[in-house]
Amino acid sequence: MNATIISYLSQSKEFNLIVAWFSELFGFDATSFVAFNLFGVFALLLIGFAATVGGLGTFAERKISADLQMRQGPNRVGPYGILQFLADGVKLITKEDIIPAQVDKFTFYIAPVLCLVGVFSALSVFPISSGFILTDLNVGIFYFLGMTSLVGVGIFLGGYSSNSKWSMLGGMRGASQIISYEIPVTITIVMMVLLAGGMSMGILVSSQGSSVLDWNLFHNPFTFIGFFVYFIAALAETNRAPFDLPEAESELVSGYHTEFSGMRFGFFALAEYIEVLIVCGIATAMFLGGYKVPFDLGTGELLNQKLGLDLMLAKNIGQFLEIGSFLTKTFALYYVVIWIRWTLPRLRVDQLMTLCWKYLTPIALFNLIGCAVWIYVFNGQSIVQLFSLLFKSSGGGH
Amino acid sequence: MFNDFLFLASAALTLGGAFAVVWVKDLMHACIYLMASLFGVAGLYACIGADFLAATQIVVYAGGVVILMLFAVMLTGGASNKTNRYGLEKIHAMGNTKTKMVAGISAFVIGLVILKIMVSVLKAQPVSQVGANENSVEKIGTLLASDHILAFEISSVLLLGALIGAAIISRPRKEIHD
Repeated sequence: MNATIISYLSQSKEFNLIVAWFSELFGFDATSFVAFNLFGVFALLLIGFAATVGGLGTFAERKISADLQMRQGPNRVGPYGILQFLADGVKLITKEDIIPAQVDKFTFYIAPVLCLVGVFSALSVFPISSGFILTDLNVGIFYFLGMTSLVGVGIFLGGYSSNSKWSMLGGMRGASQIISYEIPVTITIVMMVLLAGGMSMGILVSSQGSSVLDWNLFHNPFTFIGFFVYFIAALAETNRAPFDLPEAESELVSGYHTEFSGMRFGFFALAEYIEVLIVCGIATAMFLGGYKVPFDLGTGELLNQKLGLDLMLAKNIGQFLEIGSFLTKTFALYYVVIWIRWTLPRLRVDQLMTLCWKYLTPIALFNLIGCAVWIYVFNGQSIVQLFSLLFKSSGGGH
Repeated sequence: MFNDFLFLASAALTLGGAFAVVWVKDLMHACIYLMASLFGVAGLYACIGADFLAATQIVVYAGGVVILMLFAVMLTGGASNKTNRYGLEKIHAMGNTKTKMVAGISAFVIGLVILKIMVSVLKAQPVSQVGANENSVEKIGTLLASDHILAFEISSVLLLGALIGAAIISRPRKEIHD
């Protein structure tokens, strides 16, 4: 079976106590009942966490852009303005929900929902730690690819249903941008799957070591270039600047979400910020060592042996260390995404397409072949391992 | 119990989506219902333990084929109104006697085929529980590279033909200047 959060928790005594109590209450074995309910609880928790990070992302964007532009940013609503995103949410919820008369009602209703559904269902393989990942599917990264392509459908339907020129243009450009940049993303992911030997998030992360030198980023020059290819292409997939032509204000009057007001627009914006979080998380998992903690503290064995803690407690502490490590790297990448937005000018649509088809796709293909040749020639060893072998052998085996 | 629930939900989504595709009058809505139906098919694949197939179904269909159909419907203008102001069908082939006869015969033949399939299902022994999720990706990959290599290569030739055909159809025409 796949390793899920339930299989991790079932090692603890408390879980077995709960199952026994329910079994006594119902008369049949209540393991699957408890598992089902716990899955629901943890899914809700993860969605809540992601939505909070999405909201705080809007706040972080305003603060960081203010810092880059030498001004203050929001600082009134709560300490250092940190509750600004809640104020924004209240504003969006209480706005009047205007539905223009000429829109296609069915597609107008489901377009923002499709974006959000695609993003939330990709959260189920979000590799936050080895035990708390909601489900470590065997085809984890492939499932993630499929779910993020729902966002493209949502954007296209949003543009189409609004029945207005600007929205139609924005929707078509957005959809064509997303489906074009899916190709370098997929090829780079295939390269990392080739390197790691499996498609599940657990295998991708555990193929890397704990120290910085063991990350996949420094494995061979092809993965190094591949990280940047993936980062640029994933940025374009999330419609983030400098690739945000579909929602550009100066060109398209806000593009495909022109006609959406209130919380419908809020859904689109929230989906974009959560998708940035997910993309940064996947980049961390594939290239930057994921949730691995330095000195392998994440497995809890070192704590168990050296400090003599109870095994389950040591494992839980290790899990929280892993979550901390993963979130640090992800938020660092999030900062880079926001930084890029406020530094680079927007790309024109033909420059966008040229970048994807004439530059990123050939480079991604070259990376894939190069990485495969490297694995064949050097037996899957990284540059770091090769150098250390060289030094050991030149030392004459001493 | 969860397997039964998953199967019922996926089957309901598949059948409901398929009915809605045929039922609704608007072509764009039909494409969206088709996407829902294909998600249901992915769920059915997941019920029998084919996890790689389910993920591929979602990637190829929801992310590729449905967007392609939406673009094509939108760029080629879609279908205009099928009924005139009396509510009668405007297209000649609809409501025609010949059409109804052909449709009746086809439905009868398809019903016989389905009955033949159902007989073998109804008479079969009850299947054992689906095993734990083995690594189907590795097995599919091995089979594709060893037993079914011809099908693999022919499908790649087919894709190449589709790419070249699309490039030729959409290339800019050279204009002859005097």
